Order: sequence, then C-alpha cells, then structure tokens
Amino acid sequence: MSARTIAVPVSGAGLRMAALLLLIVVYTLYSTGPFVWVAAMSLRTTTEIAANPYGMPWPAHFEKFASAWFDSNYDTYFLNSVTIVLSAVALLTIIGGMAAHCFARYRFRFKSALYFLIFSTIIFPPQVTVIGLFQIMVDYGLYNTRVGLVLVYVSIQLPITIYILEAFFARIPKDLFEAARIDGYSEWSIFWRISLPVAMPAIATTVILNTILLWNEFLYAVVLITEDDKRTLPLGVLRFLGDQLEDVGMIATGLMIAIVPVVLIYVFFSERLIQGMTAGAVK
Amino acid sequence: MATVTLEDICKNYGNVSAVRDVNISVADGEFMVLLGPSGCGKSTTLRMIAGLETISSGTLRIDGERMNAVPAKNRDIAMVFQSYALYPHMTVRDNMGFGLRRRQKDKAVVARRVNEVAASIGLTEYLDRKPHALSGGQRQRVALGRAIVRDPKVFLFDEPLSNLDAALRVSTRAELTRLHRELSATMIYVTHDQVEAMTMGDRVCIMSHGEVAQIGKPMDVYLNPASTFVASFLGNPQMNLIPATVSEGVVDSGSGKLARSGLMSGSKVILGLRPEDLAITGDANDAVLSGRVISLEALGAETLVHIDAGSGKPVILRGGRETPARLDDVLHLTCKPHMARFFDAETGLAITPGDTQ
Repeated sequence: MSARTIAVPVSGAGLRMAALLLLIVVYTLYSTGPFVWVAAMSLRTTTEIAANPYGMPWPAHFEKFASAWFDSNYDTYFLNSVTIVLSAVALLTIIGGMAAHCFARYRFRFKSALYFLIFSTIIFPPQVTVIGLFQIMVDYGLYNTRVGLVLVYVSIQLPITIYILEAFFARIPKDLFEAARIDGYSEWSIFWRISLPVAMPAIATTVILNTILLWNEFLYAVVLITEDDKRTLPLGVLRFLGDQLEDVGMIATGLMIAIVPVVLIYVFFSERLIQGMTAGAVK
Repeated sequence: MATVTLEDICKNYGNVSAVRDVNISVADGEFMVLLGPSGCGKSTTLRMIAGLETISSGTLRIDGERMNAVPAKNRDIAMVFQSYALYPHMTVRDNMGFGLRRRQKDKAVVARRVNEVAASIGLTEYLDRKPHALSGGQRQRVALGRAIVRDPKVFLFDEPLSNLDAALRVSTRAELTRLHRELSATMIYVTHDQVEAMTMGDRVCIMSHGEVAQIGKPMDVYLNPASTFVASFLGNPQMNLIPATVSEGVVDSGSGKLARSGLMSGSKVILGLRPEDLAITGDANDAVLSGRVISLEALGAETLVHIDAGSGKPVILRGGRETPARLDDVLHLTCKPHMARFFDAETGLAITPGDTQ
C-alpha cells in the first residue's frame, strides 16, 4: 500500500488571516493571563497559593469575598470610591464641557495660550507634581479629605476631558447654535440644550474613560488619604500588606472587588466608547 | 409682518470691507431676493439683518425700530439655513416647537400650533422622527415649519434650496411661493441661483463686491440691467456684450450696424443684446452683427448658436428647434432696435439714449 499525500491549497490571504488570528490569540492570552491568574487566586487561600501559585481554584473559597467586604472594611472603601469617582466625573463633565464649549465656539484673547497652559499640565508625570500637591493640600486643609481627592482628580483629568470634548464640539455645525440664538435661547441655554445633548457620544466617552481611570487611581489616593475610613478601593490592598506577612489570597480578592465594576462598565459601554472616539461630524 | 430698512449698512472684518453702503427697503409682505455670485456680501447682509453679525456702520430698522444693538433672539425673525440646522437630538415635533416654547409657556398652545403647521406642509406623519431619519426634502420642510410655527415678523432664507436635487428644488420653489402668498409675510431670500430669484421674488437686489448693483422687479432688472455686471449675471446664456462705436446715429459693432439716435457721436459703447432677441436675416445690410458659426448646442426645445463676430467673445443666438444654422455658416444677425441696450465702455453703466454723456 503506497502512501498518498493530499495537497491542500493554501492561498496567501488565508495564510495572512491565520497569522493574524494567531497573533490575536497570543496577545489575548498575554493580556488576560494576569487577570485570570488574579481571579483564580482570589478564590484560593494564601496557604494554597504558597503551595502551588498557578493552581486551579478547587475548592473555590467564595466566602473570601464576604470576608473582605464585611470584615476588612471593603464596603466602606467601595462607598468611598463610588462617591469620590462619581463626584469627580460629574464635575469633570460639567466643567470640562463648559470649557470645551468655549474653546470650540468663541474667539477670545489668549485663547491659544490658555489652551496650551491647560493642556501642558499633562506633560508632567504625577510623581513630579504629587509632592507639591501634597503641600498645597495640607496648606488648604484638604489633606486627608475626600473633597480634596475629588478636586485633585478633577484637575488631573480636566485637560484630556477638554481635549476630547473640544474636538467634538468644534465639529458641531455653527448653524445649530445660530438657529438656537434666533429661536430665542441664551448662550447658557444653548450649552445645556444643544451642545451637551448633541455631544452625548463624546460626553459618554469622557465619562467612561474618567470613571475607569479614577476608579483605578492609586498614587494620589495613597499620598493624600491616610485614614482607613476615607480610603478608596485601590488602597484596600494595603490592609493585607503587613511588615512580616503579605496575605496574597486576600489581596487578590480585594483586587477583584475593585476590578469587577470597571470590567462591567467596559463590557456594557465599550460600544459607546468606540462610537464617541470615532464619531464624525454631526449630520 | 414688518418692513425692513437697511440704511448705508457696512460690514468690515479688520481692513477688509465685506459690505459697503447697502441701502435696501423691504416693504411689508414683500418677497425680496438678494442675488449675486459667491462672496458678493449677500449672506453677510442677511446675517446682519438676523443679528448673527454685528453691523460696522449704518442703520438697520425693522418696522421702523432701530435694531443694530438688539440681540438676534429679540428681533422676532426666523431663519432657514442652507444646512437646515435641525437639532439632531430632537424629534421633528421638538425641532418645530423649540423656538415657540421659549416664547409661549403653554404647552397645549405650542402643540396645537406645531400640529397645524405640520399639517399645512405635509409633515404630520413625520412628527416623531428624528432629522437623520428624514430625506433632504423633508428636512428642508421641517426647517421651514420651524420658522412658520413662530409666526415671526420677518422670514430670512439663506440659500435654503442649495442642497436639494433639481426636481425637488422646483417643487420646493413653488411651495415657498405658495407659502409667501398664504402668509403674506415679509421674506428676504438669499440665493446665487437666478432662476429662484426670477421666479420667486417680488423684487430682486443684485449685489456685487459688497455693494448693491441694482434693485427692481425681476423682469425690469432682466430687461433693463443697470450695468454690464447685471447684464452678464442675469440670463442664461448671458447677454451678449459687444464693444461698438457710435457715429452719427449709427452704432457700429464692427461686423454690422444698428441705427440708434440719442447717443453721442464718436463715443465708445458696449452694445448689449440678449440671445433670444437676435434673429437670422438674409440681408447683410440689415445685420447688427455678422460672423461664422463656431458651435451649435441643440437643447431640444431650443438651439444655441455660437458665432464668432470678431468681438473677442462668441456671440450667442438662442433660436428655435429648427434654427437654420450649420457649423461654419456665415450668419447675419438682426434684432429689434428697442431691445438693444447700451453701456458706457469705461464705467460699464447703462446709457439711455438721449442722456447727456
């Protein structure tokens, strides 16, 4: 019996597609790997992890989540995160929206200089500004306060918020604003009734981006908040870090509590996010 | 409804003068068309009336009241934009009621008025749609409806038909004329389309380089242009403008002659002849122009004959379907003497025979 080889023709396009798929699979494994690992560890005890760091979560210790939430103050951290992030994002949207509206619509003296000044603040890494900021917060009695952290969050995210919204507002045809002026509306009303609703895709984008970034923010929170009851979720892990012992299992559980809301936001709003990022002129 | 008066209106952007000394008086209920090529200042003039541009100098009055410093929202005007400017996040109903809601707090009154206007312009079934779900013509009607709902003193239109296709433009033109008749409203309409100006306007104001070139009833302006600019801008094909000299009651075009008294002997003039006023004659002695046919355009209902009469630019004759002309024929053209127009060769301004030059 002779062996027969069946030649399957493979086109160049097919090869390229296969290579692309392989690349995507490798990249997905690379980026989701750490997440899956932390998720697995969040259901295991520190002793189990020490014995086998990459083991599967069998049995799954779901009670660790309840323990973290009720016994390790995570309910307070969660509430703090929600309050601080929602306040900061609301302020950012309103202040950023107004500033972007002005930059996009009006011509005034020193407009370019002011825009550059606001935007130039993003070139400094937070490690550079955080020391000075710490002193300012102490001087104004805002150190170790939730209000202080909200104000810092607003200031660090304002440039990028203005940048995204200004680009969108600038694309709104000026006829819309002029029609509203003729319809009898003041500039203030036009901002609330025309600019903001028309720019909703861009507003949604900034809300989602700011929520995710601020929800995960660690550096400013760790420097400016010291009291346990005022901590946000990313600081919750500090509770499980001791001088002698790191409770790796509980750190992973705490991280999962912090991450899940962000993942949910991303899953449900990613389409909106992409829409806003790629939105063209308003028709 | 109201009168609108522009007295010596000027608009400057830095050192650039966009509109100069414009004087227009629009009567109550009149349909005035501002017509001119791109950049002539017609839209700027309209925007000054609307309050969207400041007035550099001069006086704007609506119903006799000085409006220069009055904000757009207090002028009681409505404007239809070229882009329609519909609010994309609102339904047709909200778009139409948006301006009225600002002035009329009673929601029932707003709703009734929106429904009435929507019914009158055939928009009832689209009231709950958003603008992106409408065709260009429907959007245009919503923009129109939004203006009508408010029952303003003055309607302003900034090239509202430019974005419509040819067929829709014809029907919307008729609809606008009907609306004007029904509402008896004062309307000021900006366009660069002379067909719109001729068919819709009670009067036409032709603008050039920021100045008023001529104001008058469409046919008056067409028949008696005040300058070579107006003569060449109105009419398609435009009026033939032929350099000529006057000698003892005869205007010599170089390739023919036209008897006309009242013009100063020895003067240089521009002879203006509409293509439809020219006719072919067999007698060279009767000809006001003669020349060789260089091209023919058979358009179905009519034929355009391009003739090289030695005046630099081809002369165009508009003839019937059966015009007896072939390429390279030498034609002699005549015209009714009273249809010939004369312009000063230097200034380009119209000369009425008998005027002192």
